[in-house]
Amino acid sequence: MNSALRPVALIARREFASRVKGRAFVVGTLVVLLLLGVYAAVVATLASGEDTARVGVTGAAVALTGPLQRAAPTEGLSLTVVPQPDVAAGEAAVRAGDLDALVGGDAVRPRVYVESEPDAALERVIVDATTAVARDAYLVGRGVDPVGLDAAVAESGPVVVSAEPPDPQAGQRLGLGLAGAFLLFFSIQTYGAMVAQGVVEEKASRVVEIVLSSVRPWQLLLGKVLGLGAVGLLQLVVLGGAGLAVAGAAGVLSGGAGLVSTVVSVVVWYLLGFALYATVFAAAGSLVSRQEDTQSVLSPITITVLLGFVVGFNLLTSDPRGTAITVISLLPPFSPLFMPARIALGVAPVGQVVLAFALTIAFTAAVLALGGRIYANSVLRTGARVSFREAWGRARP
Amino acid sequence: MLEIDGVSKRFGSTVALDGMTLTVRPGELYGFVGANGAGKTTTMRIALGVLAADAGEVRLDGRPLDAASRRRIGYMPEERGLYPRMAVGTQLRYLAELRGRSAADARAAADRWTERLGIADRRGDEVQRLSLGNQQRVQLAAALVADPDVLVLDEPFSGLDPLAVDVMSDVLRERRDAGAPVVFSSHQLELVERLCDRVGIVRAGRAVAEGTVEELRDASAPELLVVAPHATPGWADALPGVDGTRLTHQGTVLTLGDPSDATLTTVLDAARRTGPVLEFRRLRPPLSEIYRDTVADTRPPAPSEAPGAAA
Repeated sequence: MNSALRPVALIARREFASRVKGRAFVVGTLVVLLLLGVYAAVVATLASGEDTARVGVTGAAVALTGPLQRAAPTEGLSLTVVPQPDVAAGEAAVRAGDLDALVGGDAVRPRVYVESEPDAALERVIVDATTAVARDAYLVGRGVDPVGLDAAVAESGPVVVSAEPPDPQAGQRLGLGLAGAFLLFFSIQTYGAMVAQGVVEEKASRVVEIVLSSVRPWQLLLGKVLGLGAVGLLQLVVLGGAGLAVAGAAGVLSGGAGLVSTVVSVVVWYLLGFALYATVFAAAGSLVSRQEDTQSVLSPITITVLLGFVVGFNLLTSDPRGTAITVISLLPPFSPLFMPARIALGVAPVGQVVLAFALTIAFTAAVLALGGRIYANSVLRTGARVSFREAWGRARP
Repeated sequence: MLEIDGVSKRFGSTVALDGMTLTVRPGELYGFVGANGAGKTTTMRIALGVLAADAGEVRLDGRPLDAASRRRIGYMPEERGLYPRMAVGTQLRYLAELRGRSAADARAAADRWTERLGIADRRGDEVQRLSLGNQQRVQLAAALVADPDVLVLDEPFSGLDPLAVDVMSDVLRERRDAGAPVVFSSHQLELVERLCDRVGIVRAGRAVAEGTVEELRDASAPELLVVAPHATPGWADALPGVDGTRLTHQGTVLTLGDPSDATLTTVLDAARRTGPVLEFRRLRPPLSEIYRDTVADTRPPAPSEAPGAAA
């Protein structure tokens, strides 16, 4: 192996081994998996929570049974109609919570007894049913067959021809895109901060002086970023893979739908985004000598990323084709977070993807040069926090 | 041969090194002494490439040091440091491999040095679980594990128990006997005097004296002890060739400005005139005294120079 790269590989291997072997990694991954599972379960329950209602009928209103059952599906309501022996028994059942409503009296102007106020969907169903009864009675009175009218009406309606048919898998694409954006954000924040902590730990324990008497600062920095980046990638693959497996098993996700290309683009953008952020985090970490001071230099970075993420995430869900999210996804520090989501949504023209990629690579190169210099200048300075000007000033040979 | 040639270094307005020059020959144990802030640590850091010099050059076997030749130097920094959560054996193997050893060599060397330094049974333990003394041994093993051709050790004896001092001394002698240039700094001057083939004394970023302890002794103002019980105080004050006298519990100590035979004869004659002379001999000042005199003699040339420059 190239003599300049062997130390890099050794350092990367050490960083990888010391993190993956640690219990924190396994436990942390499991906890995140568990949280994601709980979140998915809650969302699934909410989504599949179809409305069901129980309605009692009594007296003349029993005639509404058929119209009620026909009207319910058009309102997305699953309805059970329960005949009641009399009004008193029905009202008691409503008060006991066994029925959502009791419909009694006249079939056209029934009296509806409810606990407090009727559910909106249920009220519409009842209105539809009374309308149908009244209309049928009116039509029959004038010698028109209501069934024939219904059949004729059922045949009517426009035929929509769209220039760009909506993607039947749009929901799935949005889900994939958002999950990708979230995983990227999570990995970059977590493992970027880990790079900074590693840098500070080496400074705090002074071992950095021994290491730097053997290797150059850029080799140490590169090895660290590669090693921890690989750990982050491993976790990303574990979490992403588990998510896809669960979604597939639950039938939320069908193959195809740009699944493979989404996974590939998430991984590629992760690598780029990680290189970018890890360097920034490492340079920031090299400015301080004690773990207690780490947070103070990391906060400006994490807050910037967090704000960008929150704004971008909202834009992505509300208006994925809008100008604002287009601009954000083209800005290098945020491209890695949102470009893969826009690609998954199929709303990113190839030109924009190429532009964002080129901009991010250029930006990352600049950050590597700047961050590498700050790191090399500061990593051996112990004691007080190194000011940015000092860190930038003197360069090592 | 390790040569430090005219190395200068400033930290802001503070001069840390001002044309530091010294040479450590192969098979030589070199003691590096000086007050805190005199520039010992800065010199060693520059030799290891951990700091960049403003001027001057460090050469190993005649060639300027580069990244590859620096890996041949075993280094023990003044600020001790190891990965606290890494096991002793893994850590030593890692450091050896970073300095270019193969995995097999690194394993063998880690086993050998932990055995030698009496920490073989702690190989699997995290460094932070070891006592401070054992951590020091691991630190020494870290300096030796890559089988270096040169040793540069900053205060290797500080914090060691007497047994560990013996082990350390043995190891240093052994490396010296194997032909390696070995340089270490220390404030324990008796130890330096006992151990070192040559000594360099630094003051305010500059080597002010260099040589064997004997050479330094010869270079320092010669002193003479005269025990003449009946002599009256001041008996030797006006003698030609005598710069000063002082009374000690042993007798009169004369500092000779001119240690020639004529002066010695004059002094002996004067002493005999006072009565019996019980003792008349050249004093062999210990290194600590030479050091004190050397450091006191050499004033910094520029009064603006900050004392106690950052090490």
